[in-house]
Amino acid sequence: MTDWKTTAAALDPPIPARDVEKLLPVMDALEAAFRPLQATLTPEDDVWTGVE
Amino acid sequence: MTILEMAAALRAKKISSLELTNETLAAVARENPRINAFITVTADLARARASAMDAELSHGIDRGPLHGIPFAHKDLVYTKGIRTTGGSKVFENFIPDHDADIAINLEKAGGVLVGKTNLHEFAYGITSNNPHFGAVRNPWDTDRIPGGSSGGSGAAVAAGIVPFATGTDTGGSIRIPASFCGVTGLKPTFGLISKRGVMPLGWTMDHMGPIAKTVRDAAVSFHAMSGATGGYVPPKNVDIHGLRIGLPVNYYFDKLDLEVAESVRTAVQTATAFGARIVDVKVPDIDALNVVGRMLLLAEATSVHRDNLLNRRADIGADVATLLDQGRLIRASDYVDAQRLRRIYIREFSKLWSSVDCIFTPTTPTPAPKIGQTTMQVGGQLEDVRLATTRLMRAINVLGIPALSIPCGFTKSGLPIGLQILAAPRAEDTLLRIGAAIEDATGVVGRRP
Repeated sequence: MTDWKTTAAALDPPIPARDVEKLLPVMDALEAAFRPLQATLTPEDDVWTGVE
Repeated sequence: MTILEMAAALRAKKISSLELTNETLAAVARENPRINAFITVTADLARARASAMDAELSHGIDRGPLHGIPFAHKDLVYTKGIRTTGGSKVFENFIPDHDADIAINLEKAGGVLVGKTNLHEFAYGITSNNPHFGAVRNPWDTDRIPGGSSGGSGAAVAAGIVPFATGTDTGGSIRIPASFCGVTGLKPTFGLISKRGVMPLGWTMDHMGPIAKTVRDAAVSFHAMSGATGGYVPPKNVDIHGLRIGLPVNYYFDKLDLEVAESVRTAVQTATAFGARIVDVKVPDIDALNVVGRMLLLAEATSVHRDNLLNRRADIGADVATLLDQGRLIRASDYVDAQRLRRIYIREFSKLWSSVDCIFTPTTPTPAPKIGQTTMQVGGQLEDVRLATTRLMRAINVLGIPALSIPCGFTKSGLPIGLQILAAPRAEDTLLRIGAAIEDATGVVGRRP
């Protein structure tokens, strides 16, 4: 899982430290839900380019 | 009066556009201190415009059903020479030098702009609890939110100030206020109404559309917003015989307020009584679509407002700044992968349209929460208000399909309940047809706050 504190500190400018804590649970939950979906992608899966 | 009733009265010379506009401005003065739906009121411009529309009608120039009808723009639609705040202190003095396409189209159709409506800051939230211009209040219970982000538009229509207003919908921002305020909201197919000149939030998720008192009013205003001259407006005694309504057997009815579930199922029974056929459908993974939608919006909204966040952070509300911070943490490759997943899910979902013409779901899992409420009980579980309220919404923005929200009942405490109807891309006529049939049958639309 991503180390959000380190990532937030590495941004230019960094996300203010006092604001990072409240982001952590949300970002952890989003990443936990997204990674399994992402793992299903194959190289043939193109991006969406508009309503078909 | 509805738009169509006003239009008939104007042509019968029973009332003038100036009189309608003065009545509307009086309603703003009466109602706005209670609900805070407007940020800017353009009284002098509106009266001048109404007089011009009256003069045209008297000379035989008729622009169609919106000719001389008062309306409001959500305050992120660019209006030349009129302040457009986006609900933010960042833009509190911003005056565009051009009109948005949707403003041009409504002007061509003869609409009379009376003002700009309050919203959730940057349209990035569902409460319309605006830290800079004050909270919008729900006309049915002023201790409750009207929903958002188009909360001022929803509240203004529900309070009877204007018969329609513009809205934008990136994760439910037309349909949520429609549900909480007991009015009609149409989120058309992605791209059908031009977004040029409308402050963006998420480029691949933003939709423009009307919030109106009735389905037929939504139809008329939708066609005008898209620049069409004419278009389908459901007739009286609209026929829905044989229409195939999909009723999800998974997800949409899993976690709901009991009164919401009961009202939506009653609407289903109403449709069957008028000859529609119910088809059970299993919808693809909506939670996955919601995750993809959140990933896309976090990245896109931060792309839109990155400079505002970095340079004007103190002027942005804490809830919106937090979301924009989250967007800074999204990897570019994750955003691209979300767009790749989107394509797969759209193709999967589109298979449903071979077996049904539309799908019925609740719009929101609950009626309007209280202002300041951050969690609520839904189906016996404690949920975050924002995530719960967008749970049945966000996936539809990812899919880009049209969706209509109409009132289908009220709770015992008198709060409106919304029915969401979905259809295939560009099948707005189907939504309007079935929506009008339900509206006529229930009579819910006649109830006022």
